[in-house]
Amino acid sequence: MDAKHDVLVIGAGCAGMRAAIEAHDAGADVAIVSKLHPTRSHSGAAEGGINAALGNAGEDNPEIHAFDTVKGSDYLGDQDSIEIFTREAPGDIYQLEHWGAVFSRADDGKLAQRPFGAAGSPRTVYAADITGHVLIQVLYEQLVKRDIQVYEEYFAWHLVEHEDRCQGVICWDLLHGGLKALGGKTVLLATGGVGRLYRATTNAYACTGDGMSMALRAGLPLKDIEFMQFHPTTMYPSGILITEGCRGEGGILRNSEGERFMERYAPTAKDLASRDVVSRSEQTEIDEGRGINGSVLLDLTHLGAERILTRLPGSRELAMVYAGVDPIKTPIPVRPGAHYHMGGVETDTDGLTEMTGLYAAGEVACVSVHGANRLGGNSLMETITFGRRAGRAAADWALSHTTVEVPQAATRDAERELKELLDRTEGERPWRIRDELGQTMLKNFGVFRREDQMEEQIEIIEGLRERYPSVVVEDKGDVFNSDLVQAIELGYLLDVAACMLQAGLARKESRGAHSRPHDFPTRDDENFMKHSITRWRDDRPELSYKDVRFTKYLPEERKY
Amino acid sequence: MQVALKIWRYSAKTGDKALREYEVDAPEEATLLDVLDIVKDKVDGSLAYRKSCRMMICGSCGMRLDGAAVLACKVRMYDIANSGRVPVISAMGNLPVVKDLVVDMDPFWAKFKAMKPYLQPGYQQPLDGKEYVISQERMNVIHKESLCINCGCCVSECNSMEADPDFLGPQALAKGMRFVGDPRDGAAVERLDAYSSEHGIWDCTRCYFCNERCPKGVDPRDAIAKLGAEAMREGIDEDLGAKHANWFVTSAKTTGWLRETELVPKTQGIVSSIKQMKFAMGLVKHGKVPPPFPPHVAEGVKESRALYDLVKQQDRQGALGIVQGERALSRIEPAEGPEGSQGGWGSRDQADVTPGEAPTRKYSDDQTKEAQTKEAQ
Repeated sequence: MDAKHDVLVIGAGCAGMRAAIEAHDAGADVAIVSKLHPTRSHSGAAEGGINAALGNAGEDNPEIHAFDTVKGSDYLGDQDSIEIFTREAPGDIYQLEHWGAVFSRADDGKLAQRPFGAAGSPRTVYAADITGHVLIQVLYEQLVKRDIQVYEEYFAWHLVEHEDRCQGVICWDLLHGGLKALGGKTVLLATGGVGRLYRATTNAYACTGDGMSMALRAGLPLKDIEFMQFHPTTMYPSGILITEGCRGEGGILRNSEGERFMERYAPTAKDLASRDVVSRSEQTEIDEGRGINGSVLLDLTHLGAERILTRLPGSRELAMVYAGVDPIKTPIPVRPGAHYHMGGVETDTDGLTEMTGLYAAGEVACVSVHGANRLGGNSLMETITFGRRAGRAAADWALSHTTVEVPQAATRDAERELKELLDRTEGERPWRIRDELGQTMLKNFGVFRREDQMEEQIEIIEGLRERYPSVVVEDKGDVFNSDLVQAIELGYLLDVAACMLQAGLARKESRGAHSRPHDFPTRDDENFMKHSITRWRDDRPELSYKDVRFTKYLPEERKY
Repeated sequence: MQVALKIWRYSAKTGDKALREYEVDAPEEATLLDVLDIVKDKVDGSLAYRKSCRMMICGSCGMRLDGAAVLACKVRMYDIANSGRVPVISAMGNLPVVKDLVVDMDPFWAKFKAMKPYLQPGYQQPLDGKEYVISQERMNVIHKESLCINCGCCVSECNSMEADPDFLGPQALAKGMRFVGDPRDGAAVERLDAYSSEHGIWDCTRCYFCNERCPKGVDPRDAIAKLGAEAMREGIDEDLGAKHANWFVTSAKTTGWLRETELVPKTQGIVSSIKQMKFAMGLVKHGKVPPPFPPHVAEGVKESRALYDLVKQQDRQGALGIVQGERALSRIEPAEGPEGSQGGWGSRDQADVTPGEAPTRKYSDDQTKEAQTKEAQ
C-alpha cells in the first residue's frame, strides 16, 4: 500500500470536492484522487445555475421545489431523497455564498434567481452563465484553505474490496507512471457521468463513466441506467452546450419555417418546458423535415446586445467560436445532445452503496432525485447537497473504524492486467471502437428509442466488446501516457453502454427521457413505475427492478 | 481539409527533442485540439497533451501556437490550413516541460496557493444565516478576475517571470485581486502587504503580454494595476515600484513633465543614487536625461494639474478607480454610491464585460447602431 487515509474521494468535481471538505471538517484525514486537476473537472462547464428555493425572486419554498422535481422526474424519483434535497438546498447555497462564491446579484443585493425549465418559480441561483466554473473555483479555494491532499492526475482503475468492504483503489499515476495502491477506510465515488458514449454530447473527454464501471465490476448495481438526458440546445456537430439560461432569459426555439414550434408542444411553458419534452419536440421537427441541417434554431436576437452581453456572455462566445455565429445578430443552430445521466450507482440518502465502506455522490450516483428526467439546475445542487451528506457519512464510518488494508494480490492483479495491455503490439486502435460506439449510440439509443434499433445496438455493443480485448496502446512509456488511459476508459464506456441498452429495451413504456413513440408511447405506471437495477453477472448485464419510494406526491400526467 | 502542423516532441526523462511535422485530414470546423486528437488517434499514439472540456472552460489545453500561448480548443484551424501556413506547436513557456506539450504545473499552483486564495470573511455573518447582501456593482470589481480558468497562458507569456522565476506572476496576482476586490473579504490590507513584497505587484514590467494572451478576458495586468492602486490607497508604498509610481504623479502634477534626474533619488534614496552616479553621468552624456537646470514647468502644466484635481475631486482611487475608468471608457456614467462608500460607483446600465474581449472596448459602430435601433423600437 503506497498511502492510506480515512476517506478517499475519487473525483474532484463539485460532488467530490464538497464531500472532501465535509469529511475533513468532520475530523477525518481525507485525500482526493482525480485524473484531472480539480479545477479541470467537468462540473466547471455547467452554465445556467443551481436550484434552491430561496424565494428571492418570487414566492417559493422547498415543497414547491420538491413537487416540480417529482413531476419533472416523471414520478420515478425517490420522493424521500427529493424532500431531503429541496429542504437542505437553501442552506447549502448560503454556505457557498459565505465561502465566497461569486453569484450574480439582484437589485436588492440578494442572490439573483432566474427562471428555468419546468420550475414553478424563478429558483435558479446563477453566476452569469458560468455557474459551474464559479462553484469549482470556490470549492477548490476551500480545499486549499484546508490543505486537503489531492492525488492529481491519478487515474482510478480498480476498487479494492477486502473482507467484504471497500478499502481502497488501485490507480495509475498519469504524470509519473506507475501503479499506486491507495487505502481508504471509506471510499467515495464522485467520478461524474458517461456522456462520451455519444458522438454528440455536452460532456468533456473525461466523462467516461469510470466510477459506474468500477462499481459494476465490484458487483454493485446501477439504477435507472437507461435514462440519459438529452439537452435540447447543443451545437452542431460538437454537442457543445448552450445553456438553458438562454431560454430562461427569453430565447425562443424556431424551426426552418421560423415558427416558434414549442407553442404547439407545450402551450403553457413553451420553450421552458422540461428538457425531455423540448428535446423530443425538436427531434420531431427535425425528423418531419422542418429542421436545418439536422438542427433547429435558438433565437436570441430579440433580447438585444446588452442583455446578451451581461447575462449570457459565455454562451455568445461559445456560439462565435464553435458555430461561427454571433447570437446578437444570428440564431444559433442547436439540436439535442447527450447531457446528463439520471441513472448511476445506487445509493441511499447518505450516499452509501450496497458495499460497506463505499459511497457515491453526484452524477455517478443515483440517489434518485432526478428519476426519469432531471430539471435544469438540479444537478449542481445535487452535487453539493449529496456530496456533503455522503462526505459526512463516509467520515463518520471511517472515524469509528481503525483498520485499512489493500492486499498485495490486488496490486499484483492490476500489474498483470496492465502488462498484458501494454505488451500487446498487434491489434486495433481504440478510436475505431470509440467512434463506432458514439455514432451508433446516437442513432439507435438517442432521443427516441425503437425496439429494432435497440436490438441492433445490443448486437453492435456485443461486437465492440468482443473487439475490445485486442485494442493496442501505442505509447509504451510511463510519463503522461494518455494513450493507455484512453484505452481503459473505452472499456468503461462499453460496460455502461451494455447496461443502458439492456435496461432500455426492457422498459416497455415512455417515461421522461426514455421515449418509445412507435410501440409504447405512454407511461405505464402499473408495470413500470419502478427502478431498473442492473448488475454485472457472468460478463453481461443482469436486470431486476425495485420499487419507487413515495411520500405524498401522487402520479399525474405531465403537461407543461 | 488537409491540416499540416509541426509539433515539438520532447521527453524530460531522456532529453530527446525533435520538431516533427504531421499532416492529417480534418473536418472544416476542427480546432487545434481536434487536430491533435486526430494525430494521436491515427498517426502517433504517444503524443502527449492535456485536454478535457474542449469548450474553453477547464483550462487544460494551454500550449503555444507559433510561440504564443493559446487554448488549443479555442483555435479554429480553417484559416491557418487555407493559408498554407504550417504552425509550430510547442509547450507553454515559464513552466518545466514534462513530455511533448505537457508542462509541470506544480510551480504554477504553488504560487496560486501562496496568495491565500480563499475568502477570509470580513463581515458579520448575517444573523438569519442567509446570504451577505451586496450590490452587483460592488461585485463587478472582481468580475474579470473571477473568469480565470487557471490555464497558465498568461504565465507562459510573462516576461517578468522569465527574468525572475519567483515572480508571483499574472495568474496568482489576478487571483489575489479577486479577494482584495471582494467587499466580503476582510484581509485586504494583510494581502496587499504580502503581495507588495519582493517578487510581487511591483515586479511586473507592464509588457501587457498577459492581457494579450489570456483566452478568457481576465486581463491580469489590469488586476495587478488594481492591486497597486489598492496598496497605495492603504498607504502600502514602501516598495521601490510604489515610490517610483508616486514620483511620476508628483512630478506630473507639480511641473507637468517627468523630472527623471529626481526620479532615482526619490525612488531609491540618496545613498543608492550616489552609487549610481557614474551610470547617470553616462546617460546625461548621451542625452538620455533631460537636464534639470534651469528648473522649469511644462507649457501645458495647467492641463496636467487640472487632470490631477479632477481625479482627486471625483475621489477615484484604488481598484474602484480603475474599474470606474474602464467603465467610463465603455461610456458608463459615474453615479453616486450609497452613504459612506468609497470611490465612484458605476451604474451598470450598459454591457461592458465580455469574456474573451477586452472590456474597455466600445461596441463596433454597427453594433452600437443596431443596439440603438433596437432600443428605439
